[in-house]
Amino acid sequence: MTAPTLAPVGGPRSRQPLGVRVAGGFLVLVVLAAVLAPFVAPYAPDAIDLSASLVGTSGDHLLGTDSSGQDLLSRVLYGARTSLIAPVLLLGLAALLGVTLGTLAAWRGGWVDTLVSRITDVMYAFPGLLFTVLIIAVFGAGMTTSVLALGLAYTPTVAKYTRSVALAECRKPYIDAYRVQGMGGARICALHLVPNLGRSVVGYLVVLFGEALMSLATLSYLGFGAQPPSSDWGLMVQEGQAAVVQGALLPALVPGVAIALVVVSFNVVGVRAADRLGSGR
Amino acid sequence: MTDAGQEHALAVDGLHKEYPMPGGGRLTAADAVSFTVPAGGSLGIVGESGSGKTTVARMLVGLVRPDAGAVRVAGRLRETRTPRGASARLARAREIQMVFQDPYVSLDPRLTSRQCLTTALRLHGRDDSLADGLLDRVGLGARESGARPHGMSGGQRQRLAIARALAVDPKVLVLDEAVAALDVSIQAQILRLLGEIRRDTGVALVFVSHDLAVVRHITDEVLVMRRGIVVEQGPTDGVLAAPDHPYTRRLLASVPRPGWDPAAVVGA
Ligand SMILES: Nc1ncnc2c1ncn2[C@@H]1O[C@H](COP(=O)(O)OP(=O)(O)OP(=O)(O)O)[C@@H](O)[C@H]1O
Ligand SMILES: [Mg+2]
Repeated sequence: MTAPTLAPVGGPRSRQPLGVRVAGGFLVLVVLAAVLAPFVAPYAPDAIDLSASLVGTSGDHLLGTDSSGQDLLSRVLYGARTSLIAPVLLLGLAALLGVTLGTLAAWRGGWVDTLVSRITDVMYAFPGLLFTVLIIAVFGAGMTTSVLALGLAYTPTVAKYTRSVALAECRKPYIDAYRVQGMGGARICALHLVPNLGRSVVGYLVVLFGEALMSLATLSYLGFGAQPPSSDWGLMVQEGQAAVVQGALLPALVPGVAIALVVVSFNVVGVRAADRLGSGR
Repeated sequence: MTDAGQEHALAVDGLHKEYPMPGGGRLTAADAVSFTVPAGGSLGIVGESGSGKTTVARMLVGLVRPDAGAVRVAGRLRETRTPRGASARLARAREIQMVFQDPYVSLDPRLTSRQCLTTALRLHGRDDSLADGLLDRVGLGARESGARPHGMSGGQRQRLAIARALAVDPKVLVLDEAVAALDVSIQAQILRLLGEIRRDTGVALVFVSHDLAVVRHITDEVLVMRRGIVVEQGPTDGVLAAPDHPYTRRLLASVPRPGWDPAAVVGA
């Protein structure tokens, strides 16, 4: 009675918060850019024009050029392709392995659970980047190796998360009902348990997406991932670095800002999606 | 009691289950529980919370492994372990099916009513088209047929759970507090449905409940449990009219809903 209470904010609850809508809208634009790059990009991403090296923003080059005279706008638009597809592949691999391991651990319990949990704990404790760089050191640099290595590096996280949601799901009586029906364990898991984890796991993967994109960009920046003449954003930042010394900021800034905006947008949308999907129904 | 086994749909002998207690020591959840149910018969298991009713029910269907004791269905001994092979597992499932307490969590949220039934039917090599008959049997219509659990009422969900159990065509149906989560008027409808199903299919019912009023009208025999021990068993009418054991008398005195007489509804 003493403290004044704030009235709850009115308005339709189905509307997403402004930040989520802005971030979501931006991501839609990025996906469109990736898909439509050949039609909207003014130049080919690898068109070298040494006469136009390091020009600033101009009518010909809206975002300027890099030291080889490549149009930064075109490169950043094409770069959206690798920057979006590679995290999808990486997380797809991590999901395949992680969901399998996590479900197995939750379903079988006992020593299987102990083994999987120990392995994931060890991998957890091991810095992900170090692990990845190790794999790359063995199998060589490149986008494929990076995606595979990071896919493995993300597997424990996904396995741990899946295990926790699967444990809760396994306790629900509908799983018992399938057992009583005479259904085998493998079939219950594959056809009924895992599909019911889908929403939560997808929500979790969306949250991981920004981080995965960042990790890939980092690898490319370090020279382990995408190789020239790719217009991968991480690689572009690295290539643009030299120009910073010459006073041209755009070649590093344009891809850097692109990475930052996409990662932040994915985090904003991802947290929201995880809330909605995880607590759904 | 002569020529036992053959005439009994379900014969349970000396079921025993202990759980380790967190502070050390062991808790006896079920001790030497024995009973029989004839084909088409109905047995109630009553007792207060924690008396071991669910433990017995889960041992019957094989979700809990008994420490000792035997369960026979139509004279055949059930293995305490779930068999490895698919055909043995399915044959075992056709002996006893179960309806769980809370239909909000005992149905797969992803499947429509019809899919829920066809999943069970296909598993047992039966035809999909039987699903329509089953839905009809439990009083679910075309709308519910395509609905998922979250789009149905508690009573409708429990009807579906019953249909799912019947899809396997079991000899024995175990119901663990199957109406406890439902409104009183819906309870009466479900009880009436179970009575009809028992009459029509000859399935034997084991009805677990803490509610004596419910047990009175759905069972022929009753078994009163307390702390894992069967303190009294016999014909339902006799036991409830003239209980021998003081515990049963106390249970009777504390019937939760004195105003409700399901006889009026069920017997109609
Ligand atoms: N998995 C388990 N581990 C340890 N103890 C258990 C387990 N399952 C049941 N118990 C214990 O066994 C006893 C009997 O439990 P049970 O669930 O069979 O009782 P119930 O008669 O069904 O009770 P309620 O009416 O509350 O459902 C309880 O004391 C319970 O705590
Ligand atoms: Mg119980």
